[in-house]
Amino acid sequence: MDVILQATVNGLLMGSIYGLTALGLTLIFGIMKVINFAHGSILMVGMFAAYWLVELTGIHPYLALFIVVPFLFFFGYYLQAIVIQPVFKAERHVREPITVIIVTTGIWYVLDNLAMMLFGAKYRVVTTAITGHTFTIGDLIISVPKLYGLIATLASAVLLYWFLKYTRMGRAMRATSLDRDAASLMGINQYKVYNIAFGLGTAVAGVAGCALIPFYYVFPTVGVVFDIRAFVIVVLGGLGSIMGALLGGMIIGVIESVFSQFMASTWTEGIIYVIFLFILFVKPSGLFGMKQDW
Amino acid sequence: MQAGLKDKTIRYSLPLLALVAAFLFPLFVSSPTYVQIMILLYFYAYLTTSWNLVGGFAGVLPLGHSAFVGIGAYTSTVLYLHYGLTPWLGMFVGGALAALVGVMIGKPTFKMRGAYFALSSIAFAEGLRVMVENINKLGPFTINGPRGLLIPLVGDSFIKYQFLRKEPYYYIILIMLILVLALTYMVSRRRMGYYLAAGGEEPEAAESLGVNVARYKLMAMAISCFLTALAGTFYAQLTLYFYPKGILGLDLSFELAFIALIGGRGTIAGPILGAFLLRPLNEFTRIYLGGYLPGLHLVIFGLILILVMIYQPRGLQEPLSRLYDKVIRKLTTRSHAMGVEKA
Repeated sequence: MDVILQATVNGLLMGSIYGLTALGLTLIFGIMKVINFAHGSILMVGMFAAYWLVELTGIHPYLALFIVVPFLFFFGYYLQAIVIQPVFKAERHVREPITVIIVTTGIWYVLDNLAMMLFGAKYRVVTTAITGHTFTIGDLIISVPKLYGLIATLASAVLLYWFLKYTRMGRAMRATSLDRDAASLMGINQYKVYNIAFGLGTAVAGVAGCALIPFYYVFPTVGVVFDIRAFVIVVLGGLGSIMGALLGGMIIGVIESVFSQFMASTWTEGIIYVIFLFILFVKPSGLFGMKQDW
Repeated sequence: MQAGLKDKTIRYSLPLLALVAAFLFPLFVSSPTYVQIMILLYFYAYLTTSWNLVGGFAGVLPLGHSAFVGIGAYTSTVLYLHYGLTPWLGMFVGGALAALVGVMIGKPTFKMRGAYFALSSIAFAEGLRVMVENINKLGPFTINGPRGLLIPLVGDSFIKYQFLRKEPYYYIILIMLILVLALTYMVSRRRMGYYLAAGGEEPEAAESLGVNVARYKLMAMAISCFLTALAGTFYAQLTLYFYPKGILGLDLSFELAFIALIGGRGTIAGPILGAFLLRPLNEFTRIYLGGYLPGLHLVIFGLILILVMIYQPRGLQEPLSRLYDKVIRKLTTRSHAMGVEKA
């Protein structure tokens, strides 16, 4: 029983990080109606940025947040403005432009393999001030960096929710999400909205990157690990739903962690896909799927 | 009138010439390496053309077609190893199974937005790979987990789909490619093709005119999966060895989509063009640059993809077919002028 409880707690903590990566994905999808296949690669960029900052300057990984997150925001902003936007404009009459999805796939290939060329295929770890720190509640052992990860996830979700709900830009984003043509007619510059939405999505990936650094390996294809899970999570939680991304992430984390107590861990990955297909058959709109996306 | 006829003759004689050259190729080139390169080229062109039936004409984005290559290869090989069933029949069993699975994935997802189908096709292919990698024995059948399956060499035997020389494989895949191209041509000119095109571009409008878009998409999916599985059997017999990561992996799925998109999806020439441009590029950059710059060929691949999507979203076939038209027009006017001169 204790083992299961421990596995559940571990799963919740790790799952919150999955949820954090899914959060960026779902935000971009909700507003742009585009699945960003490069999301995992952008997480990888964030992890490498945090890694080198900590490794070279020795600053605390959570201080790196204040550099990595703005960096990734602008990275995403200009990626969207320069690379994705032209394709979007060419297909602006299509509700769900497939070519844009393909371009993000191209970005994924370029980023992952550039990292491979620059840094090699090796796994890197950085020892930080809090690596390996734990505390106990009764018999439960809780990892400190993972707990901070959970806090970062909740904080990001609340901030994002607040931003979308109460700021002028947030309202413009929701309007664009509902009907991009009508929003344009109301004087909203939809391409600016997309730039910011994409930038916000990648900035969230930057938060996830910094949160992961103290306890996870960095390597060029690390994004794929989180990418595939993030896809499953957003469908589980409902594409475009912030709440769904958070809870979906935790559900996937717990399932992964608890099931690996009973079977080979190579199987748990298979179980995630089974759950995914099951959801598609039974409740394709996901747990929190709404008629509209927000 | 006369010029129009000439135009048509020239327009159709060039592909015919290419076809004749393709059939004669092994007679003039004896190096097995080059024949093998051509076999793989046709193999990719065949797979991409099959992909195109659903990915191009039906306007959805399948990103897990390697699953059907794998289903084809595993089904025919397991039936052959276990019951001694000839792969020539086994491939149809694999094809039927793949079509069934394809319909099962398509049925719930074709009604939803495209992203769901793309994601579920990936999830299915990856799920299948993980399953296969974790299973050593499935009921009475040995599938060997991550080590894959080995088909024992028996020498030249048509009935066992094994040949010591490369040429038989060359002609098999060439004929398969021609057949699948003919099928694509027929589909695109028939009611199904029009319905698919209408459903891909304006699903709501097509539905309101009484076209059952989902049903036609499902039909396209079934045909595409069936054809893809046949190529899986071909690959198994060509290499006599395959393993889940290679044949079921996402890399193959994405490569097929990339080739089709760069060549031009929803067209007949697109996949062929894409395969002929990208496969050699892929091979050569990997051979010459892969040694000291691992990953460079994939960076180039990704950049080409991005650039083509930005500047030629309909694929490279568009500017090239315009060029082809221009050349033909020049040829016809010249022959016409010569005819006039003679008269």
